[in-house]
Amino acid sequence: MNRNRIRREHLEQLREKMSRGLFPQWVITDPDVYELELEQIFSKTWQFLGHESELREPGDYVTRWMVNDPVLLVRTQTGDISAYVNSCTHRGAQLCTADCGNRQTFTCPYHGWTFQLDGTLIGVTLGNKVYGEELKREEWGLRKIPRVESYLGMIFGNLDPNAEPLSEYLGDMKWYLQMLVGRTPNGVEVVGAPQRWVVDANWKVTYENFAGDPYHVVTTHSSTVEVDISPRAADLPPRTGYHVVLDHGHAMNLGVYRDVPERPYQGMPESLWPLFQQQLNPVQLDLLARSSIFTGGIYPTLSFNSAPHGFHGDFHNFLNFRVWRPLGPEKVEIWSWFMVDREAPDAYKRASYQAYISSFGPSGTLEQDDTENWARVIQASRGWMARNKDLSYNNVYNYLMGFARLEPNEDFPGPGTAYIGFNDNTSRSIQQVWLDYISAGIKEGEQ
Amino acid sequence: MNWEVYHGIAELLYLEAHLLDHRRYREWLDLLTDDIRYRMPVRITTERKDGDGLEAGMTYFDETKSSLAARVERLYTKTAWVEDPPPRQRHFISNLRVQPAEQSEEYNVLSYFHFCRSRASEHAMEQLTGERRDVVRLVGDEWRIAERTIICDETVLDVKNLSMFL
Repeated sequence: MNRNRIRREHLEQLREKMSRGLFPQWVITDPDVYELELEQIFSKTWQFLGHESELREPGDYVTRWMVNDPVLLVRTQTGDISAYVNSCTHRGAQLCTADCGNRQTFTCPYHGWTFQLDGTLIGVTLGNKVYGEELKREEWGLRKIPRVESYLGMIFGNLDPNAEPLSEYLGDMKWYLQMLVGRTPNGVEVVGAPQRWVVDANWKVTYENFAGDPYHVVTTHSSTVEVDISPRAADLPPRTGYHVVLDHGHAMNLGVYRDVPERPYQGMPESLWPLFQQQLNPVQLDLLARSSIFTGGIYPTLSFNSAPHGFHGDFHNFLNFRVWRPLGPEKVEIWSWFMVDREAPDAYKRASYQAYISSFGPSGTLEQDDTENWARVIQASRGWMARNKDLSYNNVYNYLMGFARLEPNEDFPGPGTAYIGFNDNTSRSIQQVWLDYISAGIKEGEQ
Repeated sequence: MNWEVYHGIAELLYLEAHLLDHRRYREWLDLLTDDIRYRMPVRITTERKDGDGLEAGMTYFDETKSSLAARVERLYTKTAWVEDPPPRQRHFISNLRVQPAEQSEEYNVLSYFHFCRSRASEHAMEQLTGERRDVVRLVGDEWRIAERTIICDETVLDVKNLSMFL
């Protein structure tokens, strides 16, 4: 076996280093690690496919990717949502290459096989003349993504037929999702198509950036504070930052004002407040009223962000979900959706959209600098020293903030384990979940 | 078409490219009218029956002079990491077509762009191509850009970010 392969001893070393708040640098972009991630993480976890508002009418479809698996997501005639492998069952050609549209049937341009919205094969070119009776059409329908389940309009797929239900996988994250996408009776909707672009980054880094790393904001994003695109911390009422560790690698970051501020609910319009009261329990309602910022992640590749930004101090919050689709260990294709409460007034929807494009997405004045820093991590991760699996060069990252000294905060009202202030507790928990997945791929006794 | 008009507008777009490529962003702002609308729609791939993929309902830029000024001022701070060290950038502007607009003193201007950017020691050049649909206005005796819609050819942008102006 290739001596560079990951061996049992490497896992023990990882476990040992991580138990001391250190994270070996080689795992970020190691090609063998990436193969293991495809096998142990992306074939087993729930991945975000889209939002129900992207599929309004029967026949509406969008095409998506689960890493390298092409997905055709459709609303069927009965109004249900189905997800298929976007590949003709005859010779495998990608069935649909448009990003979205509306169709009653899908015909493969290669040999002309035609499928209905429910996946049934209904048309075979020349049909029985060439196949006779040996072609059982019912056996050649579109192959389904093994599991497709939704929560509050958020559609997820899973390639593992035996995966635990989405609801259980999300676990305590559902409580926070209710505050983000379930706070108004009609929920949120996606505005337009997702922005898509390719950055030099590893998905573990970008996921952690949103889920567990408000520390970077101080330096990476200081320019937007300087020019009044982001609020100045000193101008805000007293607030507390919480890291919340959740099961399965999910995580939340919340900035919470001590008292309900003059503009509660992140400044969202007053007409929405009674709707929040209808939808949320008193604890969620209070936390949303006092929130200044939410970021977080649903493992492994869905991140979100709700924060106030805007030009010349005209700050508005927005809701942004994004998928970090890995294109290899050194690249991700970002899919970034802007969402807004359907029941919000148009003026707010417009202001919220402006706040989003001013700050996030490829043109966003905050995210521009993120992409630079993620690329720098990649560029410094390819070397002999960085990739050294024996750690002879002290090639470990520092995950020591709050290590072995920070106790969970018992007063935090939401589910999960909360820690106050900047710390690496969520980052450590996320990478521990990563290690548990990866370890399952290295069997006992191997090498 | 009046050659003088065509030439004046071409000079405006070449001057603009020069200022952008040399990071003279504040001077670039002076080439824009105060009421400029500066947009870059998200482009999607659609079936032919559904049009040209420009009605995606989302943008990368949807700017006014004021918001562009804020973006520019950020790039002059000491912590706009994306442009420090500055990448080298080049706007190639071509295929210029000019037609009178409805308002006198205004012209509809179509130009193609090929944007290239070289970051740090990276071997691969980042690139974007597309066209710009502008409204150019004669203000006094100076040409100014009053409207710009940037139509990119790529639906998945193969650039790390849009810190540039197109």
